[in-house]
Amino acid sequence: MFSPDRYEFFCPVKTNSGSRALEHLPFELDTMNATKPFVITSQKDARRGLVDVIIDAFKDSGVTIGIFDGAPAAPGMKLIKELFTMYRDGGYDSLIAVGGGAVVDTAKILNIAVSGAPEDIERYAGSDLITKPLKPLVLVPTLSGTGYESSRYACIDTLSFSSCFLMPHLVVIDPRMIVFEDVETTAAASLVTLTHAVEVYTGPEKNPLSDSYAYAAIRFVMENLVSVIRDPRDGKGRLALVNAHNAAGCAFSNSTPGMAHRLGKAVGDACQLSWGLCMGILLPHILERQTSEDGYHIPGLLLPLAGFDVYAETPEHMKVQKAIGILYDFQRDLFEASRGAIVRSLKDAEVPEEMLRDIARKAAGRSSTGFDADVSLMVLEQAWKGK
Amino acid sequence: MGTIREVKSGKKSLKKDYVAIMMWFMGRAIQAAASVDRDVRKEFAELPDRFTFDLCVMPDGPHMIVGKDRKGYVRYMGWDTEGKRTNLRIKIKNLEAAILMFTFQESTALATARNRLVVDGEVPHACAAVRILDIVEVYLLPKIIAKLAVKRYPLWSPGRKYIGRVFVYLRTVLGL
Repeated sequence: MFSPDRYEFFCPVKTNSGSRALEHLPFELDTMNATKPFVITSQKDARRGLVDVIIDAFKDSGVTIGIFDGAPAAPGMKLIKELFTMYRDGGYDSLIAVGGGAVVDTAKILNIAVSGAPEDIERYAGSDLITKPLKPLVLVPTLSGTGYESSRYACIDTLSFSSCFLMPHLVVIDPRMIVFEDVETTAAASLVTLTHAVEVYTGPEKNPLSDSYAYAAIRFVMENLVSVIRDPRDGKGRLALVNAHNAAGCAFSNSTPGMAHRLGKAVGDACQLSWGLCMGILLPHILERQTSEDGYHIPGLLLPLAGFDVYAETPEHMKVQKAIGILYDFQRDLFEASRGAIVRSLKDAEVPEEMLRDIARKAAGRSSTGFDADVSLMVLEQAWKGK
Repeated sequence: MGTIREVKSGKKSLKKDYVAIMMWFMGRAIQAAASVDRDVRKEFAELPDRFTFDLCVMPDGPHMIVGKDRKGYVRYMGWDTEGKRTNLRIKIKNLEAAILMFTFQESTALATARNRLVVDGEVPHACAAVRILDIVEVYLLPKIIAKLAVKRYPLWSPGRKYIGRVFVYLRTVLGL
């Protein structure tokens, strides 16, 4: 087992997953001294009946909840200030975010405001600038989340925040909330999860505790994503994927974003593609590149990717190639299960080849982990052609 | 920009009534089984004098209060907690968890493993209470259902099971 000379790991997230998990919410809020929660969700999730499930879960609890079901895809500071007023005037004392992405960003940023003042928000943009615990934040994820929701990160407008105090206190994963959306959203979300978990598991900040979260996330995705894409009625598979998102988010909070994350984001932003799709394409190409670099732990990746039997029967010197081969096979399986919707190369994703140099330069410029533009370009060119 | 709406928690009256009736019947059955079954008698004998426990659903009931009276007899003491001192309170976290237990979809052991119960009192006493509940469920339920409700279905002689069942039912219905 890999044991680093020194490491840090912090995860304050309590997870409550499984049948009727939502009904535990009143009890859990009570343990956090919260009596009047403010629920934030999107119109889309409200239309799908998810708010009704929340209301039903609070029956017989004596708890009054406030529901705001208008969180937009791109929230701004104006919305946060309006929500702050509603929260304060309604006498609420905790937040429940139902959904993924922007809804959770809204809840996290609002939590900074309601735990202090709205003026605080801009002051706390950056890394580890929040120095005190915030109000109780509960996350009820759906299948559209990526795990970013459980992490220490949040963003709004052009401001980015990173603090362990932004992590939710409780994540409630209930099968009734995990409604299948579409193949692209589901696959992209889980590919973000897989990328984060693999980069934590193989990266320089690898440690035994982040390994356990990353291991669970990788196994869940490898065992369930293709089957859920083939059969969206696979409820157990959907539940496993949301658990994977949550575990990967907790692991990701204890690691610096890796090259696949940064390059995937850069390609997605430049070409209006989903980050998950781009990260999924790039991941095996980046791992191939990292096998020759110091500080990465690729051979052990075979264990979560393929399980004990394959790991045990593969000779030590072949473990790296086997692991990377499994990721390429996984891309192929996803491509076939999604009938071509989840492509395997940047070319098939319609990324213009002439943009690669610019993307590589921008991604390398934002990197704090030391990969340069030439290496990025090389990886992008390989991923553009595909395997 | 949307608006906020406040929703007061509603009621699940039917489910609550069902759990209340089951608890009432279970309470009387524990009293009956304490007279009929040697293991239940032994479990109670090992508990402190005037020991009383309350099985309840959070946040505000229903309750099932059972305990030993001054003479050491086991009595079902009703659902009203007013003025009653309890040594042990086993709290089911919510009504849905109680429904899972009292429709025998989840055994007490499984509910504990799934963190659906809170114990307010000494854990050894709570274990004794759970063992008592298991024995009583074996008397009250046919094997096919009782197997879902208890941790391990016991190997009892037919005499103990069937004659005991008749006496437990009779005493429960008559309140003896």
